[in-house]
Amino acid sequence: MADFGTASSLPNNEKQSEESLLLDQANRIADAPKGYFAVHVHLSELRPQYRQPHYIRIAARSFDSLTSAHEATLYILGNADMVLICRDVPINDLDPPVVKLRSLFSEDPLTFGAEGSLDDRFTTWYDLAQAADFGSFLAAAEGLVAAAEDRAKKAREEGDSPHGAMRGEALTPGNLTEVNGRLQGVRIEDLIHQQSAVEVFSGGKGDVVFQEHFVSMFNLRQRIAPEINIFSDAWLFQYLTETVDRRILSVLAQSDFVAMRDDFSVNLNIATVLSPGFQSFHEKARKHASRVVIEIQIIDIFADFPAFTSARDWLQGHGYRVLIDGLNPLALQFFDPGILSADFVKVAWNPEFLAGIPDERVTDMRQAVESVGSHGMILSRADSEAAVEWALGLGIQRFQGHFIDRVVDAMITKGII
Amino acid sequence: MNMAHAPDTASRQSSQENLLLDYVYRLEKHKGGRKVVQVHLSRLKPFNRREHHVRVAANSFEALVKALQGQLFILKSCDLIFIYKREAAPDVETAVQRVRFLFSDDPLLAEEALAGDRFSTWFDAENQFDEILNLAQGLVDKEKKRQSEVRAKMDTRAALKARQELGEPLTPEILNRVEAALTRADLSNLVRRQFACILGPKGAPEPTFSELFISIKDMRETMLPGVNLTSNRWLFQHLTYSLDRRMLAMLAKTDHITISGDISFNLNVSTLLSQEFLAFDDAVPASRRGHMVVELENLDIFSDLEAYTFAREFVQERGYRICVDGLTHQTITLVDRKRLGADLIKLIWHSDMVDGGKDIESDLRTLVRRAGENRVVLCRCDDREAVDFGRAIGIGLFQGRHIEHLIAKENRKRDLRRLKARIQNN
Repeated sequence: MADFGTASSLPNNEKQSEESLLLDQANRIADAPKGYFAVHVHLSELRPQYRQPHYIRIAARSFDSLTSAHEATLYILGNADMVLICRDVPINDLDPPVVKLRSLFSEDPLTFGAEGSLDDRFTTWYDLAQAADFGSFLAAAEGLVAAAEDRAKKAREEGDSPHGAMRGEALTPGNLTEVNGRLQGVRIEDLIHQQSAVEVFSGGKGDVVFQEHFVSMFNLRQRIAPEINIFSDAWLFQYLTETVDRRILSVLAQSDFVAMRDDFSVNLNIATVLSPGFQSFHEKARKHASRVVIEIQIIDIFADFPAFTSARDWLQGHGYRVLIDGLNPLALQFFDPGILSADFVKVAWNPEFLAGIPDERVTDMRQAVESVGSHGMILSRADSEAAVEWALGLGIQRFQGHFIDRVVDAMITKGII
Repeated sequence: MNMAHAPDTASRQSSQENLLLDYVYRLEKHKGGRKVVQVHLSRLKPFNRREHHVRVAANSFEALVKALQGQLFILKSCDLIFIYKREAAPDVETAVQRVRFLFSDDPLLAEEALAGDRFSTWFDAENQFDEILNLAQGLVDKEKKRQSEVRAKMDTRAALKARQELGEPLTPEILNRVEAALTRADLSNLVRRQFACILGPKGAPEPTFSELFISIKDMRETMLPGVNLTSNRWLFQHLTYSLDRRMLAMLAKTDHITISGDISFNLNVSTLLSQEFLAFDDAVPASRRGHMVVELENLDIFSDLEAYTFAREFVQERGYRICVDGLTHQTITLVDRKRLGADLIKLIWHSDMVDGGKDIESDLRTLVRRAGENRVVLCRCDDREAVDFGRAIGIGLFQGRHIEHLIAKENRKRDLRRLKARIQNN
């Protein structure tokens, strides 16, 4: 019977790390490697979300029946990679768990390359009985140990430094009241930032569609609760945004709409749009409604669709424009945002697009652009020229993101806009 | 028989008024030689226009309908409209005369001698087509108005009742208290069970699985009277994490024999990825997993599609089935069951589906067909209207208070049959 990785799957603790256990076994079999082979599953190349321990824990279970029935040891490394060392295990028995593992991550670009093809970045196989393979496996194992030591060292140096976004005490119903209370009283005017959404024309010309006004949540957290990770729970964070809405609306209501050069947008909860607070904003903004875009999150729409339709209809009926935010390319495969009858739909750019995504996903994206209309679709988080070029190819003409910010600065310098 | 079916079994879309209007539109091309008579049973005294009166009156036209001489429509108002071929005119006059005779004691017919024919109105389709069309259109409009008034009255009442029952909004402090209490409380007496059924041709329910859920309403009453747990969507969503854990603990403890048949229960996607679920999964006999359906809220799915696709692959591979819960007739248009890789989807019944008219009905029918036969459960069916509508759009599975009522009725019948058999055997 095989021994399952004995060290806890937490690296960097007092016990021997999985990486060094792996290296130990590699060294032990060096003298008689006949019948041994190894599979390195590169889960460290997954998207960050999928590298979290609860995903990896479930993924590791795929090998349970294999390790209990054969002489096979699974190592779960600190970087989320897995290495399986097998002795005399029929290769066919490895197919089901590997297929299972791939299917768990079928939405991750890591699995997009067909299994066994040149594009397959998911696994690397080593026939340890072959000297060349054994050599490269040993080198890989040594590399993994060194990387694990580096990570451990870094973690010790940094300690529990509070500047990381995901550090700090979790947001709970218990501390939510306190945080929410501070949010109600804090100064936020200086935390409101602007980012342009721009329409790009041929010949390097452009035009500002609107300026999004938003509160920098990272800075806000520093000001109200540096000791609490306000992002740790999606629903409780969403609750806090209702308070943020009220604060930003009251600031925006004081705007000098006549003097404002560009149209502007603001992200709000549907509940906020339907609240008396929005009506007081509307009192001020009424005459300029056509210059205001209200951004609504897609989850909010799923939470209460009738509320969305009444908010949308009210807004559009009073001259506001409505934007659907919070979509990513994966979401476009599941539904067509065109049927939401919004004026704009924002889809976040992801560099994965450049890494060769399957054709049907590009088709989904193209269909979404057609359905929404090229004037309605905005690619957000466009952080490179390549992103803009890629999207122009799909018919998208409107953009937002760091790269666009630089373009806008340059245009302003040149006096183009 | 060519007579359109009786109004009480028709779904609202195919109400007699609507069918009449459709028929009149088609009549435009064949109006030559066609005549129409409206028999004003609605003008009779109420005691003369009970259901059996209307039926007897309608029967007078049966022979003509069978002989394909005309088409009869029985309106909500009790009026009859008969559209017929000119050749049948003498027979139609006889039939109307016969009906008139049935009600000769009604004041309407007594007054008629003075005021002219108030019992029947006759039209010639060839030169009075517009009048006929106006009449049919007017009937449809009136019926629509009546229905929306009835429903508005019911909705206002329901809204008032809900507000009285709902109470104080949920705040973070209260949420904190509830969650703390939940870790200790025994919720087994708050677990409810409701069946999802296929309905036989005669409407007899045949359970396919039963949903186990913690009654939020009862939990509120025992733990937090006066607090509206669902008033803030985000806080409530957080509360469901705690409920998930309690549910899993109870399911793991429950004797599998007591919960017979296939069952379903609601969980969050993140719960499926938690240690608690892994422990539950280890405790459940492998053979049992195939009899369990995990229901996931569509909001939860779309809040993190990456997590959903991973969790779905994981639990389906273990043998569980996945049901997408909480879809409305609006959000169902956004969701493609096959793309989501779910085994079932649940559509929440709402009377708006009926009020939405032909477009919604045909859209829903297409969506149901696309999702697959017996893949859609119409839930919260509180009355027969829901079932009628569901069947009309091709839904095969139903859940809700009305279905529970049908099951109870069916059980009573069965008990009675058993009792009879026992008596006979003795």
